[in-house]
Amino acid sequence: MDIQQLIREDEVHRDVYVSEDVFALEMDRIFGTAWIYVGHDSQIPDPGDYWTTRIGLESVVMARGKRDEINVFYNRCPHKGARIAADGCGHTKGLFRCPYHAWTFNLDGTLKGVPYLDGYENTRFDMADPRFSLKKVARVASYRGFVFASLSETAADFESFIAGIKSSLDNFCDRAPNGTVSVAGGVFRVVQRSNWKIFFENLNDTGHPIATHESSYRAARQYADEELGGELPFELHIIDGNGAPPKFWSDLDLHAFDFGHSYMTAIFNAPDDPLSQAYFASLSAKVGEDRAKEILGVNRHNTIIYPSCSPHTSFQQWRVIRPLSVDRTLVEIFTFRLDGAPEELLQRTFTYSNVVNSPSSIVMTDDVHVYAECQKGLATQGGDWVSQHRNAGQDLPFSGADGGEIGVGTSELPIRNQFRAWREYMTSDVAETIPLQSSEP
Amino acid sequence: MRAAHTPLTRASEVPYETLCQFLYQEARLLDQRKFGQWNDLFAEGGMYWIPLEEDQEDPLNHLSLAYEDSMMRQVRINRLNHDRAWSQKPRSRTSHTVSAIVVEAVCEVSNQLIVGSAFTMAEWRSFGLRTFAGLYTHTLRVTDGRLQIVEKRVDLIDSSEAFEPIEVFI
Repeated sequence: MDIQQLIREDEVHRDVYVSEDVFALEMDRIFGTAWIYVGHDSQIPDPGDYWTTRIGLESVVMARGKRDEINVFYNRCPHKGARIAADGCGHTKGLFRCPYHAWTFNLDGTLKGVPYLDGYENTRFDMADPRFSLKKVARVASYRGFVFASLSETAADFESFIAGIKSSLDNFCDRAPNGTVSVAGGVFRVVQRSNWKIFFENLNDTGHPIATHESSYRAARQYADEELGGELPFELHIIDGNGAPPKFWSDLDLHAFDFGHSYMTAIFNAPDDPLSQAYFASLSAKVGEDRAKEILGVNRHNTIIYPSCSPHTSFQQWRVIRPLSVDRTLVEIFTFRLDGAPEELLQRTFTYSNVVNSPSSIVMTDDVHVYAECQKGLATQGGDWVSQHRNAGQDLPFSGADGGEIGVGTSELPIRNQFRAWREYMTSDVAETIPLQSSEP
Repeated sequence: MRAAHTPLTRASEVPYETLCQFLYQEARLLDQRKFGQWNDLFAEGGMYWIPLEEDQEDPLNHLSLAYEDSMMRQVRINRLNHDRAWSQKPRSRTSHTVSAIVVEAVCEVSNQLIVGSAFTMAEWRSFGLRTFAGLYTHTLRVTDGRLQIVEKRVDLIDSSEAFEPIEVFI
């Protein structure tokens, strides 16, 4: 059976979530070709700064070179294979040095020095041969500081990949008075016992909050009613939002684009308080009041840049999705400073993240639980197909600026859209057949 | 030695045994899921803080695993007690061990003490048993004849690690 038979217009076979063979193929055909988010250039401001992360299952290093350029290479010494950089952020003075036999590499990854060099005379070793340097990933591209890489020379170009969803990256940065953003405040990291696609499907799924998040929005309302006469401070407002009535969700807009990207319109706004006013003033001072209103009028909840990240433009959050195995996913949450905005605005960004994105979030915990329940249920023999029927066939082409498709707020358009991209990635190479774990065709 | 129930007046005169008893009681209330009584141990404006970084100094200008005032603690408690807290089926069960209790500082002016200790917390949830370990730093104040928590700081030894969701108080 081939991969095409795992996908229908409005449902997918459970093997896409539970089959280790499918996962292995995804690492090859999706994460081995697609533009994957690596990091932000503010994480490595100076030459010698580096950030170690993953593309699919590959450990890679993003490093700032001597001429200020950004290099991304595999984290593997060409000598014996040891990783040359530890996880996370670091700085090296002028060169990378392998901890095993002290081979050294320039910041662009080229081999600089090898101990006992005379021992290599009259061997096939050659300092100038690229295979004795750190191997660069095939392609690196960045847009407004957000760095992406592709492990394939020949897959789609970055411009085509990012075109549909560029407006979210623009709005993310345009909200900064200086037009730039920088990573600040550390990284939250959450492990989920579920397939990476389950998390992506949830990001623009407006059908789940009322059910999944009942315990947290009721807890927030209970406190507001008992202690505050029904008033909702910022923290409770963002928890309470998940309890909005069905019409609220269906009135939202969902926009979907090529390559699996999408976004949903905002579900809550920043309060109109002195801090918001001071921020508006700082933005207006740089870009003018009309432009500031225009920028802040673009109000979105989660954006999806498939298959590796999800910016939240209104509260400066950026989630990175790293598949670990067929049933384990790591989500990293970065927060950004709007350069030139009042420092207190960053505190609000942290407050939002502490409530919504921390491993101890009382909101996210029920999400992570139901993802794991999906993973467990999908592994049973209780049925082979997973429904994506809601509003199927009812989404429309969007005539506005970015094009794409538009659906009502409760459409499963973003999920169907992700699987259209998934199918393209997975079948882009010569059709290969893989054994399915279940028997039903 | 003064009996534990004798009203306290000055931070500098709180018996060591009373401090130990207070920390043990606090942990026991959490293990017994008496979260409301636990929250009552905090002074007005008291904070529960789990820094994200080792030696993190600032809870406002940096992310924290948790930084909760009485409102956010009570909302967490409301949720833990809610019938549809899906991830609490079955509910978390915990066992704290608190040890190496040391008085680190006493301030006569604010009538406060800083008490350090080591802890482990075993937690059982639907996905099995896991362990948290680290250092507590309690800032305690003597008010109305008893100890109150001004700040409970929880420094996990793996605070910057990737976690599965943390739901109960540590």
